[in-house]
Amino acid sequence: MFSKLALKNVTKSIKDYTIYFLTMTFGVCLFYMFNSIDSQAAMMQLSTSQYESMKMLTQAMAYVSVFISVILGFLIVYANQFLIKRRKKELGIYMTLGMEKRKISHIVIIETFFIGVFALAIGLIVGIFGAQGLSVVTAKMFEVNLKAFQFTFSMNAFYKTLLYFGIIFLIVMFFNTISISKLKLIDLLTAGKKNESLKIKKLWISVTLFLVSVVCLGIAYYCITKNGMLYMNAMFTTSIVLGCIGTLLFFLSLSGFLLRVVQTNKRLYFKNMNMFVLRQINSKINTTFVSMSVICVMLLITIGTLSTGMGLADVLSKSMKSSTPYDITFSYEYEKGDNNRQVRDIVGMMANDKIDLGRYAKEYAQISYYASDIKYGDLKLDLSSLRSDYGDEVVDRGNQQPIPIIPVTDYNRAAKMQGKPQLVLKENEYAVNCTLYQFQPAIDAFLNNGGKIALNGNQLVNAEKTSLQTALQTSMSPSDSGTLIVPDAMVKGLTLSGEALNANYKAGINEEEFLGRLQTLYNKVDIKSRKIDAPYDMEISKTKISEQGAGLKTVVSYLAIYIGLVFLITSAAVLALQQLSEASDNAERYGLLKKLGAEERMVNHALFTQIAIYFFLPLSLAIVHSIVGIKVANNVVQVLGHLDIMGNTFFTAAIFLVIYGGYFLATYFGSKSMIQQKQN
Amino acid sequence: MQNILSVEHIEKYYGNKGNVTKAVDDISFEVGRGEFIGIMGASGSGKTTLLNCISTIDSATAGHININGMDITKLNSKKLSQFRREQLGFIFQDFNLLDTLTAYENIALALTIVKTPSSEIDVRVGQVAKELEIEGVLQKYPYQMSGGQKQRVASARAIVTNPALILADEPTGALDSKSSRMLLESFEKLNKNLSATILMVTHDAFTASYCHRILFIKDGKIFDELVRGEDTRKQFFNKIIEVVTLLGGDNSNVL
Repeated sequence: MFSKLALKNVTKSIKDYTIYFLTMTFGVCLFYMFNSIDSQAAMMQLSTSQYESMKMLTQAMAYVSVFISVILGFLIVYANQFLIKRRKKELGIYMTLGMEKRKISHIVIIETFFIGVFALAIGLIVGIFGAQGLSVVTAKMFEVNLKAFQFTFSMNAFYKTLLYFGIIFLIVMFFNTISISKLKLIDLLTAGKKNESLKIKKLWISVTLFLVSVVCLGIAYYCITKNGMLYMNAMFTTSIVLGCIGTLLFFLSLSGFLLRVVQTNKRLYFKNMNMFVLRQINSKINTTFVSMSVICVMLLITIGTLSTGMGLADVLSKSMKSSTPYDITFSYEYEKGDNNRQVRDIVGMMANDKIDLGRYAKEYAQISYYASDIKYGDLKLDLSSLRSDYGDEVVDRGNQQPIPIIPVTDYNRAAKMQGKPQLVLKENEYAVNCTLYQFQPAIDAFLNNGGKIALNGNQLVNAEKTSLQTALQTSMSPSDSGTLIVPDAMVKGLTLSGEALNANYKAGINEEEFLGRLQTLYNKVDIKSRKIDAPYDMEISKTKISEQGAGLKTVVSYLAIYIGLVFLITSAAVLALQQLSEASDNAERYGLLKKLGAEERMVNHALFTQIAIYFFLPLSLAIVHSIVGIKVANNVVQVLGHLDIMGNTFFTAAIFLVIYGGYFLATYFGSKSMIQQKQN
Repeated sequence: MQNILSVEHIEKYYGNKGNVTKAVDDISFEVGRGEFIGIMGASGSGKTTLLNCISTIDSATAGHININGMDITKLNSKKLSQFRREQLGFIFQDFNLLDTLTAYENIALALTIVKTPSSEIDVRVGQVAKELEIEGVLQKYPYQMSGGQKQRVASARAIVTNPALILADEPTGALDSKSSRMLLESFEKLNKNLSATILMVTHDAFTASYCHRILFIKDGKIFDELVRGEDTRKQFFNKIIEVVTLLGGDNSNVL
């Protein structure tokens, strides 16, 4: 009997539930998809390092999923509270008929159960199919081939989804029971016709609060721009706290005084349905400003993760191309206590160990680095832009570092490997190589001003007006913040600081086999453990970097999409539910407008405006926030390389347009049909 | 006297073949400018259906309704809403005020719907409020007012656009007798001072006794017609009671 009633209730109010249901299904689907990545690996040909990346990816998803389930749990609990509130009258009728509260919560629990089971089932089915698509994307991101396409099913992710959502539904049932037991019959039957009235009545208080909120936001923006995101210090906390307070006050005062401001302008206030729409929003002001603030922050997180996350992934793959010109680099750093430094013949040492590099490499060249007493600070570079982006601390520390020096012959050999022009230096000339683009303007400015340097008592003048941009070794990302290239004679008497042997393989060389031989020989458990007798202490291969890079890129972009999407659907769903659950109250009001002779077009326009304000007010502030936030975040990302801001903004905007816009339209048409139903 | 409303052989059927309910069965009557006419009948007699047809909320199955020289049975939906906002004023039993708006704004809303210049709005709301003695509650929300005040605000909203015809559906239905009296006196005043044409549906003899003329409806047909003429309200009331008794079976609705 009760389950029949519950089932009927669900089917009857299917319109109210549609958005909630779809959101939950989508949530379950995402949850399954991103947790099933480990099983997708089964059909990919992975190397060891790719396998490691895959494990990292799976783990990252698992950790984030806990957080995600909390967010989705919040959404589901909130949505249910809303749906109960909305059905006060119906529940009130049950109670007047003498139904016990226990029985009522029984009905509601069964309803939740029905919806939950349906959403889980459909979400899982869609998720299982979606995961097949995701595996193709994963394979592409990892740049591996699929062995053969096979349909995968992750038991692990399946159980995990069931468990997490099971727990969420238990919590929902618990909350529902509590809120039903607290219901009073009188409240149920005369469910709120009262307007919420703002505590702040006076206009000047609203204006003051508005100004305070703007100041708060201003300070918050200033702090975060000044401090950056690298340091979680007091300034960072200040900006976050002030940002939250500012946002809250902004919506509190805005809704308060928007009405007043428009009211004073009679022409605007009495135009079309403006008065009606403003009052509609004002009537729910207390609930509205809190939810708007929360949603604004959630949207900020969405925009932030989507655009910078994707940006980061982009930068990683782009900068990798320019930073890995050689197939492999063996590097060596001289020990601190080593006072008898000679140029280390890495190739020769390998040959002694019966490894003929020439067998594997078609070309190779070594670069020797020398330390000098010239520090970066001595060049008096104009690093003000770096200071504002990264803070004084980083720059000051960097200024204490000695500039590395290499002989021109070594440079030319490396340049030849890359097919770059040779550098000719006269005996009193020098050049600067730099691959970190943040430093290039400062160095170029220094060179343009005829920068002279003193090395070992010799005055050197610059040969070129600009810096050279040759990667001197293969690395994860461009890392050369400035290296001096001097005539070979000039390095005499300087202390050696490190070596880098770059090599390009012959065609058809199996790198795994080559590295395997090296590793058994030098018994290197991992690259960091130093063996004195090994000719080098670190090798970086292009393949490894690109594999790891692809893995990292996948992790970053999947995390961004996963978190971003869940936050986006959560906030859009909350807004949609609020509007739809109000639609029945609104239906009466809009119906009355029609009775009074307002045209269909006018009424629809008013409805559209009302819903648009609810959806786009939080979005607008979130966009302003994120412009600042993304700018700061980009400064962090830029360490790794140049960022394509436009492309990512475009991508984020597209996602927003589809999902947020979709929710908006669904809400509008849903409300519209509710209103029209009420008429007939 | 010029006719504001003329109803010609109007019929409204519900149901389908074989099971037809004739809610309104061939009713014809006319209402002149400045008249205050009442329609009485027991519940189920078809008076609300008739009102819905006249108010363009529902459409008649057959017949014609002319309001201010326009045949509303031939208008399309867009013309209808234009007609409704320009020619008709509504007063409902349950007030139907918007609880999000203040009294002032509720009245002004009717004006903004007909796109009245904003400069006029203040003046016109003020005038009507004065006439209906609700100046004191203009800044209040509906839930802060008494039933009588709410209904007078609703009346103000109906009259403020200067409609050709005001339609009142059981306006005193939710009011106590004192508020009812005050409201009906307001109606008389609107009728007399602003020469508003009012068509009021009621089943209450006391309420009806304020009208100039009353149509009695039974089973979808006009059963009787009473004209007040030179009678006092008391005398008219007694005549109404007589007819109501004749109508029979509905004594419970008589005061």
